[in-house]
Amino acid sequence: MTRYELPAMVVEHQRRGANLYELILHAPPIAQSATPGQFVMLRPMRTHAPLWRRPYSILRANPDKGVFSVLYSVQSAFTELLSLKPIGSMIQTLGPLGSYFQPVRSARRHILVAGGVGAPPLCFFAARLVPTLQAGEQMVILEGARRDDLLVGLDEFRALGAEIRIATDDGSRGYKGFVTDLLAEALNEPIESAVYACGPNRMLQVVARLCAAGGVPCQVSLDAPMPCGIGVCLGCAVKVKTPDGGIWYRRACVEGPVFWAEEVVWE
Amino acid sequence: MTPDLRVNLGRLQLRNPVMVAAGTFGYGLEYRDLIDLAQLGAIVTKSLTLTPRMGNPPPRVVETPAGMLNAIGLQNDGVEAFLRETLSRLRELGTPVIASVAGETLEEYVGVAVQLSRAEGVAAIELNLSCPNQARGGLEFGTDPDLTMQAVAAVRRATHLPLIAKLSPQVSDIVPIACAAVQAGADILCLTNTILGVAVDAHTRQFRLASKSGGLSGPAIKPIAQYHLWRVRQALPETPLIGVGGISSADDAIEFILLGAHAVQIGTANYVQPTLALEVGQGIEAYLRANGFDSVDAIRGVVY
Repeated sequence: MTRYELPAMVVEHQRRGANLYELILHAPPIAQSATPGQFVMLRPMRTHAPLWRRPYSILRANPDKGVFSVLYSVQSAFTELLSLKPIGSMIQTLGPLGSYFQPVRSARRHILVAGGVGAPPLCFFAARLVPTLQAGEQMVILEGARRDDLLVGLDEFRALGAEIRIATDDGSRGYKGFVTDLLAEALNEPIESAVYACGPNRMLQVVARLCAAGGVPCQVSLDAPMPCGIGVCLGCAVKVKTPDGGIWYRRACVEGPVFWAEEVVWE
Repeated sequence: MTPDLRVNLGRLQLRNPVMVAAGTFGYGLEYRDLIDLAQLGAIVTKSLTLTPRMGNPPPRVVETPAGMLNAIGLQNDGVEAFLRETLSRLRELGTPVIASVAGETLEEYVGVAVQLSRAEGVAAIELNLSCPNQARGGLEFGTDPDLTMQAVAAVRRATHLPLIAKLSPQVSDIVPIACAAVQAGADILCLTNTILGVAVDAHTRQFRLASKSGGLSGPAIKPIAQYHLWRVRQALPETPLIGVGGISSADDAIEFILLGAHAVQIGTANYVQPTLALEVGQGIEAYLRANGFDSVDAIRGVVY
């Protein structure tokens, strides 16, 4: 998999919610090779405070226009620097990085489970999946957040004509409770399914358990602190089962962020 | 006139003074699509242990002001896998490969060093003395002159390769430890490794690292590393020194050289700026040219 280290040009900061922005970047090599589930490392600053770059899942990519985008909210010194980058300026970018969601072609129904800010890679995945669906194959989105205004990517999912089921912790929209309750319900329906999930690791652990119990293939995109994104610092370790029955740490930035749920050792 | 960037650290001769530090560059090959590895002064591998090590549970890293803490726990595939799968490919680059050696016992240090010495293509051994000594309740080798001397002497007997002792900054006086390492046979000293720290999450009321404490690196530790290097330079003017700790620009590297370093290592900054080591090399050359110096040697140790 080829990755590129290059300055990407800021095309637009598009307001997408109360404190949520879509950053559109022009970087043709990345836009053309990005696969849903992959991410980029962004470095909007030249100084070393803050020190780390940050990983952002790709929300969408348009190979023809050479642009891709990520979602961010302003909540730290880093994201403030990101938000202040003017249109036409450059952001040093490394990507596309990591593993990606693989459509399970034997499934009749693809269930995408998004928790809060975990939605972007699933938006990208849904956009690439829908045109490939065969007759009798369907896609359903289960999305959860703490509150109505924290639901991310609904416009994207709606534009694809997808069936969307929503859960909020406070009941301000849709089902009152966890998105994993919606998943448990969906998995009871008699149709061969595959699950693709991104969200807080606690949520993913429940998703993995439900899928394991139902024998449903499941891929999860995991979050981990990530200093390098290159595969060298071993900071983003994820504990996995190895094929020989052992246990080892794999890198969320290279072997991940998307893992088969059954590989992951949940703690 | 093109300034001479070559540096001689005793038997270890480098085409320029900029290396990449252990643990921040993998085994080197991970960066090959991001920078021209053939232009580096040397590549220091991640620390190698006798058998594969799984490392510590996550979270292993946390960002701190102008730095980061890590508690990776020396995750690596072991020295045998390195010799079997990686070294021959690294050797093709023509860049000197310095193998970092870790151990929790004297026997482990020696065992790793012996295997590396038998292999073709290792330019030097760098002894990571910030490892916890099993026999002494986890006390770091490099925080005690006797332990340092024992470790260096044991490895010295086991290898003919140039031997670099990488010292810990976790000490009140580094000079006796530096002297012990040289007496025991270290050819070169590398100053310094990370310094211990903790980070706490006020909201969850927990440590941010699963191992609680970790090694601090990044720009935050540059003054500490420079202090130790400056002091060792005064005490041991004849010993070649490598400066490491928080270098994130050519100026940072030049400061270490002015304080007496023969060479420098780029560490944490590799994570955020993969091309930095090459930019630092070019920056040193530009600095020498602009100031009328004909070599790196000409500016070494002029600040004391």
